[in-house]
Amino acid sequence: MEVTTVNEDLGRALLERVMSIPNGHKIKACQQCGACSASCPSSYAMEYSPREIIAALRAGVLNRVFESSTVWLCASCYLCTVRCPAGIPFTDVMYELKAMGIEKGLYKKDQHNIKMARTFTRTVEKYGRNAEVEMILKYYLTTNPLKLLGQTSLALKLLMKGRLDLFPHRIKGLAELKKMVAAVEGGSNGS
Amino acid sequence: MSEKIGVYLCHCGTNISQTVDIAEVARFAETLPNVAVVREYKYMCSNPGQEMIKKDIRELGLDRVVVSSCSPLLHEETFRAACDDAGLNRFLFQMSNVREQCSWVHSDRKKATEKAKKLVAAAVMRVAKHEPLEVRKVPVRNETLIIGGGIAGIEAALKIAESGKKVYLVERDSTIGGHMAKFDKTFPTLDCAACILTPKMVQVADHPNVELYTYSEVEEVSGYVGNFKVKVRKRPRYVDVVKCTACGECVEVCPIEFKNEFDENMSTRKAIFRAFPQAVPNAFLIDKKGKAPCRAECPAGVHAQGYIALIAQRRYADAFDLIMSDLPLPSVCGRVCYHPCEERCERGSLDEPVAINTLKRFASDWAAENGVEPAPRKRTKEGKVAVVGGGPAGLACANELSKRGYAVTVFEANEKPGGMLRYAIPEYRLPASVLDRDIERLEKLGIEIRTSSPVDDPEALLREGYGGVFLALGAQKSSSMGIEGEDKEGVMGMLEFLRAAKEKKLTCIGWKVAVVGGGNSAMDAARTAVRLGAESVQVLYRRSRAEMPAHDWEVEEAEREGVLFKFLVSPVAVLGDGKAEKVKCVRMRLGEPDESGRRRPEPIEGSEFTLDADLIVMAIGQQTDIAGGMEKLKRSKWGTIEADPVTLETNLKGVFAGGDAVTGAATVVEAFAAGKRAAESLDRYLSGKDLREGRDKEIPVAPSPSTEGVKKEPRVREPVIPSIDRVGGFREITGTIAEEDAVREALRCLRCGGCSECMECVKKCEPEAIIHDQLEETVEIEVGTIIVATGYRLFDSSRIPQYGYGRFPDVYNGLEFERLCHAGGPTGGKILTSKGEKPEAIAILHCVGSRDENYLDYCSRVCCMYSLKFAHLAKEKTGAKVYNFYIDIRAFGKGYEEFYKRLLNEDIYFIRGKASEVTAVPEYPEEEGKLVVVCEDTLLGINRRVPVDMVILSAGMEPAEGADELTRMLSLSCTYGGFFMEKHPKLAPVDTPTDGIFLAGACQGPKDIPDAVSQGAAAAAGALSLMDKGVFVLEPVTADRVEELCSGCKVCIANCPYSAIEFDAEKNVSVVVKELCKGCGTCVASCPSGAAFQENFADDQIVNEIEGILLAAKGA
Repeated sequence: MEVTTVNEDLGRALLERVMSIPNGHKIKACQQCGACSASCPSSYAMEYSPREIIAALRAGVLNRVFESSTVWLCASCYLCTVRCPAGIPFTDVMYELKAMGIEKGLYKKDQHNIKMARTFTRTVEKYGRNAEVEMILKYYLTTNPLKLLGQTSLALKLLMKGRLDLFPHRIKGLAELKKMVAAVEGGSNGS
Repeated sequence: MSEKIGVYLCHCGTNISQTVDIAEVARFAETLPNVAVVREYKYMCSNPGQEMIKKDIRELGLDRVVVSSCSPLLHEETFRAACDDAGLNRFLFQMSNVREQCSWVHSDRKKATEKAKKLVAAAVMRVAKHEPLEVRKVPVRNETLIIGGGIAGIEAALKIAESGKKVYLVERDSTIGGHMAKFDKTFPTLDCAACILTPKMVQVADHPNVELYTYSEVEEVSGYVGNFKVKVRKRPRYVDVVKCTACGECVEVCPIEFKNEFDENMSTRKAIFRAFPQAVPNAFLIDKKGKAPCRAECPAGVHAQGYIALIAQRRYADAFDLIMSDLPLPSVCGRVCYHPCEERCERGSLDEPVAINTLKRFASDWAAENGVEPAPRKRTKEGKVAVVGGGPAGLACANELSKRGYAVTVFEANEKPGGMLRYAIPEYRLPASVLDRDIERLEKLGIEIRTSSPVDDPEALLREGYGGVFLALGAQKSSSMGIEGEDKEGVMGMLEFLRAAKEKKLTCIGWKVAVVGGGNSAMDAARTAVRLGAESVQVLYRRSRAEMPAHDWEVEEAEREGVLFKFLVSPVAVLGDGKAEKVKCVRMRLGEPDESGRRRPEPIEGSEFTLDADLIVMAIGQQTDIAGGMEKLKRSKWGTIEADPVTLETNLKGVFAGGDAVTGAATVVEAFAAGKRAAESLDRYLSGKDLREGRDKEIPVAPSPSTEGVKKEPRVREPVIPSIDRVGGFREITGTIAEEDAVREALRCLRCGGCSECMECVKKCEPEAIIHDQLEETVEIEVGTIIVATGYRLFDSSRIPQYGYGRFPDVYNGLEFERLCHAGGPTGGKILTSKGEKPEAIAILHCVGSRDENYLDYCSRVCCMYSLKFAHLAKEKTGAKVYNFYIDIRAFGKGYEEFYKRLLNEDIYFIRGKASEVTAVPEYPEEEGKLVVVCEDTLLGINRRVPVDMVILSAGMEPAEGADELTRMLSLSCTYGGFFMEKHPKLAPVDTPTDGIFLAGACQGPKDIPDAVSQGAAAAAGALSLMDKGVFVLEPVTADRVEELCSGCKVCIANCPYSAIEFDAEKNVSVVVKELCKGCGTCVASCPSGAAFQENFADDQIVNEIEGILLAAKGA
């Protein structure tokens, strides 16, 4: 069996931060019942189920939390949050873990989901909304350009059905959106 | 005067001393004013500790004592008793809490010590101002009220009854036994629930010291410990519990079925039922929701829902029998009644009202066709009654009295009986043959009818030997308008016209006929004239169509048959040379509404015109025509007979009157009602009973029944002959519906009243135990103690949508599965799916609702064990694969862990993980047609989908319905989830903060049978110890009033959480009921005039206490 290193001090600090989000302290009351994992539509693809992430986080087994795909695969459907008998705000916890992973550089460098997340955020920052073609192009160019070829037939089909816009659209009031995002981010840094 | 105060500092082992430097506190205390001695000790509450205090009181002459130790909740009584023992008033003592409020909650020794000093100083300063107080005692009555007859209540009742004290056991349900009576087996021993419960139920019922109030609820509780006054509302069972032998014959004849609540609605029961065969009391009861609205609306109170229910069951003879017991002339009524019942029929709010009258006609005609006679009547009464008048009122009275066993003679002045039915209602509505048939039947039943026998003097009948007389003389005279020329030939009163037509003494061939009036009889006259061959028929009415008193359908039919209407027209004269030729009319307009609410018509001047008319029928009303020897009867100014509206007594003793002769012309069914009312009076009169007592009982009308799931269906239509075929003669217009239509129509009834009151059970019940007119009763009892044992209700699993309860028929809750396992349950103990198949795989989901922030925060304590029991029973009975989905297995009781281990050896699958959902959407071939339980097997770290045929949701426990009301009634408090709060969770688990009230069983928190029984016994012990002692010592630390200062503003009354303040209206002051006051001080704080004060919380005591704290703070 794999012997896992437990970083109790760093773990403690990160745990405190997760618990500082609204209702975050409820992860202390997790019964490890697994309702979250069984409800999660992405859990089949996760290395560790959401329940195991909570267990690992509480135990300070940080590599499982940050180096696995789990937090990056959360689709924000909130089903786990709705069903959790302990009232844990799972989806919010997942976001907090993503943010912490990036901040502290705890993620695995070949973790493509992070790049996907980044490309997505930057596209949204630029246009105020998603621009599928540009985002996918950028994502594959930074990860695996060859894989892009495999997506062409899907892209063509989407184009034919009018489901894909080749050119990005900017939303109205992008400047206001940026101000709002800046204000929120400023707030979350405690400034 | 200077006091001598002793200060005693407790270490509480190391509980206090490890955080508080007691030696330093002692040194400080010695410096405080009036302190004579300071001592410290390891355990001040121990005997040596107490002795130390007592010795100092005696030897040093202490007159005040302060103990600094734990919470007064624990040891205040200990030290007060010690003071008592040493001869010091127990209220010259003060306790300061340096454990719970100091050492336990602080870690900094220095600061904790400073705080302890302040607390001690406060107590020392305060106690100096204490006054000696006297305790008061109240007597405690020797009876106990137990609310709730589940296993906890039963246990408590038996314990108390055995000790020789009286118990009132009040149970809301029709039987005692509670939830346990529904269970199949009990964990962990698997003994049969009924086998261990029913002997106790019987014991309770048979115990001479137990008075059982089932089907009853506590409505009001007043008073205080030892002297509670309780009002218990006894809902009517409609079956005499003593007479009922529980033979069950009534059930077989009852036509009404409802879902069986005892089987968790998985089977049906009749309207007359008992919860289960071993019910206690073992007597049936009738489920009535109230008076059916059809019956409530019927002037004659006919049991419409009853005959409808019987027709639905194709029991036409029984239906007919029921109608006959309500009405003398069923076929007549089925044709001519204006059926107000249908207006009120609840089915009308869904689609169309049930065709009630049509069904009555069907049953009556069916009986006539099939030669079915009503049940023969026996003469059981001595008296003999004379009925004067053979119309509907007279015949109804005769029928009712003959039913009750009296001999009745009807005196009819005409050649044939029937009154207006015979002479005024046209043949096309009511054929004479139908009337004859109905009347002949009455004669066959033993009612003597003497025709051509006018009666002049009712008192002569009394002298002849009749015990009583009912005058049903009718209104025999048509009203006249009093206009010019009204006496001409060719002007007829409506009654004379209709009678002549009926006797075939008149034709109108080629005539122009004018009918004056807008009522139903005007329609009868007009439509009759059409049939008699009139060239034209015009109805002249002085108001407009909207104001016409005639029923809409009558007007429509008349129009269809060619009758013309002239509205806002009134005749002023009949013109003609000897014979009527023309009628002169004036046009009218509508003015202000008159006393009848209709707008008063006023003539328009100069609008006169004339109409040709060969015959003018005055259909503007009827009058009483009382002639001859009736002059002794008191009359009203309208000429009607004066009779008491309730009893129908006239001014002549033994002579009653009713019907049209009293009320003026009214409908047939109202005449029936009057006849029945007279019969009731005569029955009472002849048997020497009070004529008024208990009459016209107000029975509430049943609430609207649920129409959920009821399909819309059109109402049956009576066959009707086409208008073209009608006018040539007097053929009856409507026909009787066919049998299949009748049954279908009867099945449309929504059974508003619950029990249909078809009276079949009454016929069947040999011991005559059925009391259909039983009323609710309120009894008042006085008790010394109260035990609350109201139990729980199961968590409603449909609140968790992802588990599919209520959506998938094969998802059951715990109680439903209990019934499925039970030999007396809906499947006779076979565990079958909703399709009636044996399940191959069963899933049991633990923690449904429990331990879940979204529903019940707490663990319901019993579900793990009952889930294990279910797993065992399911395995044993079906051999199916059984899966338990659990988070933790809580098997904490005696023998429970062993039971769990036994199950582990029984090939049961235990999957550690909470099911996330139950779905019927298959993802794999083996899931087709199955329910799939989705979960994470947390021990394996994999998600699983388990296909099963049946899912059992082990739902948690919630407080019973109505617990809220009881909380208010008894001034109880609630803890988590709404369970009643005990006085102390560990040391007083069955006491409540209200003295004299105890808790037992699941009302205090979820618990299993052994725990509930233990609490029942414990609560009994609590109640017994109070009652045995016979007195209760009241804490004198209560509020009081300085009467002169009280302004009577009542602010304190509104604020008192214990309802302990009353208002003395004479003195205009509020008065504290010391027995109820808990000394919380709320009233003192809220009193704006400073009139309220509280013993031991005087201003100077509190000020001194504060000064003590400040003193210590300064010292530090």
